[in-house]
Amino acid sequence: MIEIEQLTKQFGDLRAVDDLSLAVPGGEFFVILGPNAAGKTTTIKVMAGLMKPTTGSVRICGFDIGTSPIEARRRMAYVPDFPFLYDKLTPTEFFRFTGKLFGMKDPAMEAEAEHLANRFNLGDFLAKPIESLSHGTKQRVAIVSALMHSPEVVVFDEPMVGLDPHHSRVLKDILREQAEAGVTVFVSTHQLSVAEEMADRIGIMHQGRLVAVGSHEELQSANRDRTLESIFLSLTDNDA
Amino acid sequence: MNDETPIPHWRILAGVNRTQSWRRLKSAVAHSRLHAFLMGLFVLGYALLAYALFHKALQFTSSFPGLGPVLIERMIFLLFAFLFLLLLLSNVIINFTNLFRNRETHFLLSLPVPHQVVYRWKIFESGILASWAFLFLIAPFVAAYGTTYNASWHFYIVTPIFVALFVVLPAILGSWAAIGLARCLNRLAFQVAAVLVVIVMIVFVSSWLQPETVTDEMLETRVLDVVDRLLSRTRFSLFPFLPSYWVSSGITQWVEGALMGTFFFGLVLLSHTLFFGYLASTRSGVFFYGALSAVNSRGGGGTARWKFWRRKRPLGQTAFTSKPLDRWAKLLWWGSADTRALIVKDIRTFLRDATQWGQSLILLGLLIAYIVNLRHFSHRLTSDFWIDLTSYLNLGACALNLATLTTRFVFPQISLEGKRIWIIGMAPLGMRRTLMAKFLFSTAVSMIVTMALVGASCAMLSIPLERILYFTLTVGVMAFTLNALAVGLGAVYPNFREDNPSKIVSGFGGTLCLVLSFLYIIGMLSLMAATSRWAFGGSSPVVFGLGWVLFLGGSFLLGWLPLRTGIRKMASVEI
Repeated sequence: MIEIEQLTKQFGDLRAVDDLSLAVPGGEFFVILGPNAAGKTTTIKVMAGLMKPTTGSVRICGFDIGTSPIEARRRMAYVPDFPFLYDKLTPTEFFRFTGKLFGMKDPAMEAEAEHLANRFNLGDFLAKPIESLSHGTKQRVAIVSALMHSPEVVVFDEPMVGLDPHHSRVLKDILREQAEAGVTVFVSTHQLSVAEEMADRIGIMHQGRLVAVGSHEELQSANRDRTLESIFLSLTDNDA
Repeated sequence: MNDETPIPHWRILAGVNRTQSWRRLKSAVAHSRLHAFLMGLFVLGYALLAYALFHKALQFTSSFPGLGPVLIERMIFLLFAFLFLLLLLSNVIINFTNLFRNRETHFLLSLPVPHQVVYRWKIFESGILASWAFLFLIAPFVAAYGTTYNASWHFYIVTPIFVALFVVLPAILGSWAAIGLARCLNRLAFQVAAVLVVIVMIVFVSSWLQPETVTDEMLETRVLDVVDRLLSRTRFSLFPFLPSYWVSSGITQWVEGALMGTFFFGLVLLSHTLFFGYLASTRSGVFFYGALSAVNSRGGGGTARWKFWRRKRPLGQTAFTSKPLDRWAKLLWWGSADTRALIVKDIRTFLRDATQWGQSLILLGLLIAYIVNLRHFSHRLTSDFWIDLTSYLNLGACALNLATLTTRFVFPQISLEGKRIWIIGMAPLGMRRTLMAKFLFSTAVSMIVTMALVGASCAMLSIPLERILYFTLTVGVMAFTLNALAVGLGAVYPNFREDNPSKIVSGFGGTLCLVLSFLYIIGMLSLMAATSRWAFGGSSPVVFGLGWVLFLGGSFLLGWLPLRTGIRKMASVEI
């Protein structure tokens, strides 16, 4: 599970994340929404341990990302908005590399990679250099490499960007299955339809603060049964 | 490999990066065999030519009884002292980029790889990147030193071991400095201290580099005294706590057969390398992670506190007000508004890229230091031959510097538009006018700078006015050709996938541009010297005129042909 306690992140004079507290239990599909520069990516980067919080803490499966980063990351799958890939490797070689960094045994790694690659239709691309792949295909490679080690927490920043409708569907199905299997899924997106369709709970961030959190139904009932779009726009209206 | 034993992260990273590098090399060779051949030829040519020249120079120096060995030994100590300094600087810069601005670093830190391992891997990678070129450059000198003193075969085994141990120290110190820099860069106290240190260093170095007056009488009668005074300026290289002192002493004593001395300095070097290596590989990771977080958490405007005169105004008032550059462009530039906007954009991009203007400043600084020092040199020139030779070599030096600038900064201009090329391609400005605007602007700037520099350097050499005009005009024509060549070839061989100008230049087009520029300069310099009216015996007015016709014609053709080809290529470019 993910536990965020009174997280604040300051960039010079700018407070990107302001006193954010949130707990996402195992098996929950949590979608975080927010306008540009709301603080979503900063929150995710702190969760991934790429920057220290100014104050507050983040725990992944009970491990503080600041004090036990290796244990926390070992249990996490993180895909940033622009994932890094080694352009001269083939997807297979990249999977083997990340699998080894996660301490996976070869047979388990190969079985898991093959299974996920098949679901994402990567079969024809496995032996090609990553540099020759399209943006969407690279995104699929990054997702497979992140999910291979059977993580307990999945943190994806804008995972649908670059994916065609077919592979967006595949990803949604896989993430749903993961959540049903007890994995904590934390996804940042601008696509309100993803939140409506997939999320157990939705969080809306604005100017670094979590201005609303709850299930789709809870948000609707608290906002006079309006659509998610109108709720989103009303809560973040000074950016509209 | 036993599946039960986890593979160390270090080996996994080494393996993947080895595969990446090998494939990159293979694809570069496969992409352009001519480029690979030219690079190979250059590497081999440099090694052989540099070795031959160093060997000859060392033999000449060693022929002075008593004095020669002292001078050569001091040269070795100086070489390694400056090498240490350069490696340190190079490691600071490369480590900073590699540790804090590198996407692979961020990727690795999101995986269960300890900070210490990432840090260890990155300083190893940075150390190689920062050192290989310097080692390649000094290798012929060290080899020539060995052959000059008939060193035995084991000298060529021991020396690389000494050098390998030596380069570890600046790599580690450079990485620590980079971490310190990353932590403190945006602190006002640090910025003030850095500016003060730079000022003190400039004052110190300029007073230290003051020339000493040596009269003819002193040269005739008190040679040893003069040499002693000269060598006293280089005594810093004998400071026994410098790692360069240990490596220099080890190498020189090995050549002299003092094996115990070499053994001692080898152990000193080894113990320091192991001590600092141990600290770096086991204790520095936590500081690296703290510094990385500080860099990632930094708000924009690290120098904002220096702009105290700026009044804070609401965004709406400042966003679209004309900046000084826009106002100056309106005054100075005679082109239309779209061309002006393109030029202003190019200037802003250049000024906001520290790598670009930093490298320009270094090149310009070297040229200015060279020109300032020419005035001390000119006093010694009494014979016409030496004055003529120096004046043409001066022209050559300035032109070669210009060629370096045009290849490094003008050639990548079209490629740097990169994925944004559609903005210009779709605009009414059109690719032809874009190319011409870039060409005219770079030519104007180059002409102003190089003609001023050549004029100043000729004045420092106390050359008559008519010759100053001759050289200034010559380099002006060369500026036209070199810029046209760089813009033209930049358009013929664009690389829209790469954002890094250094990598764009290192491709086939950049190499071709540099080689053609150098050949052009050498050819035209020889032509101008051979047909000069006054130099090297002088030639008739007809030959002089013919020389100018050939120079102007050749310069025009070498500039115009690639520029025209580039314009045609850009007219049909598929965005």
